[in-house]
Amino acid sequence: MAQVYWDDVKEGQELPALDEEMSSQRLVVWAAASGDFYQIHYDDNFAKGNNLPDIIVHGALKGMLIGRLLDEWVGEEGRIVKWGVSYRGMDPARRNVKVWGKITKKYERGGEGLVDLDVGVAQPNGTQTTPGTATVMLPKKK
Amino acid sequence: MVTELADLTADMKAAIGQSGPTTTYEVTTLGIRTFARAVGYRNPIYFNEDEAKKKGHRALVAPPGYLGMPVFDPNRQEGGRRADFESPFKRNLNGGTEVEPLETVYAGDVLESVTTLAKLELTKGRLGQMLIRTSETVYTRQSDDKVVAKTRGTGISY
Repeated sequence: MAQVYWDDVKEGQELPALDEEMSSQRLVVWAAASGDFYQIHYDDNFAKGNNLPDIIVHGALKGMLIGRLLDEWVGEEGRIVKWGVSYRGMDPARRNVKVWGKITKKYERGGEGLVDLDVGVAQPNGTQTTPGTATVMLPKKK
Repeated sequence: MVTELADLTADMKAAIGQSGPTTTYEVTTLGIRTFARAVGYRNPIYFNEDEAKKKGHRALVAPPGYLGMPVFDPNRQEGGRRADFESPFKRNLNGGTEVEPLETVYAGDVLESVTTLAKLELTKGRLGQMLIRTSETVYTRQSDDKVVAKTRGTGISY
């Protein structure tokens, strides 16, 4: 992805969204990566025994997908200042989620070009399960 | 049905501001690659050490938010990561996470984390009375004592 510059972005602009498949295999890889081995994320019988419709996506994985969205967008010359999400709803596995971001504020502080964003993870039907906010630094054109 | 609390208990109030024990995290090449694969990264600096070095890094780079894995030892009593107290609320949900990356983290780094209970509050929601616990964790790299990241987690007990 070409480097994005602070000079070129504007409030209201949307980031290129990620369309991510949440397969059972992916959740198992995440379990190994995170150490979260709670069975509602990979054991069908356990999940159904807990009144869940299916195994569900780890909240932390959704949070880190937003980290990836930001990391890929700011590029080599930018950096993530912070991001945070709330886990408001469950995402059943074996379907895609959309990971999105939208610029809410563009400003300078200490000579740096900063951007605030709304971010989130949405189900295919548009339900927002993981709303959040972020701040990133983007490089300025020389 | 959990008995409702009129206010935070004395133990709860005393726990606010208290820090739990230090936890050691290892950042390994395997851990970084597994994390990057699960999250769907394709940037080679998270998979290939030579590519990371070509970009000026000293080792394989950890993606933002990856802070390694706690050192697991089945023979050691788990110390827990937070200051604690007796609570009538036995069910827990992860309410949210905030990450503030401060330094680039690399394979081979060993991090020490300390979690402090920042806030406790009783609220009412659709699940009945809930205890909202906000914890702040600071991750420090052993080799240079730099704080590499801060995280804030919200736990919901009901």
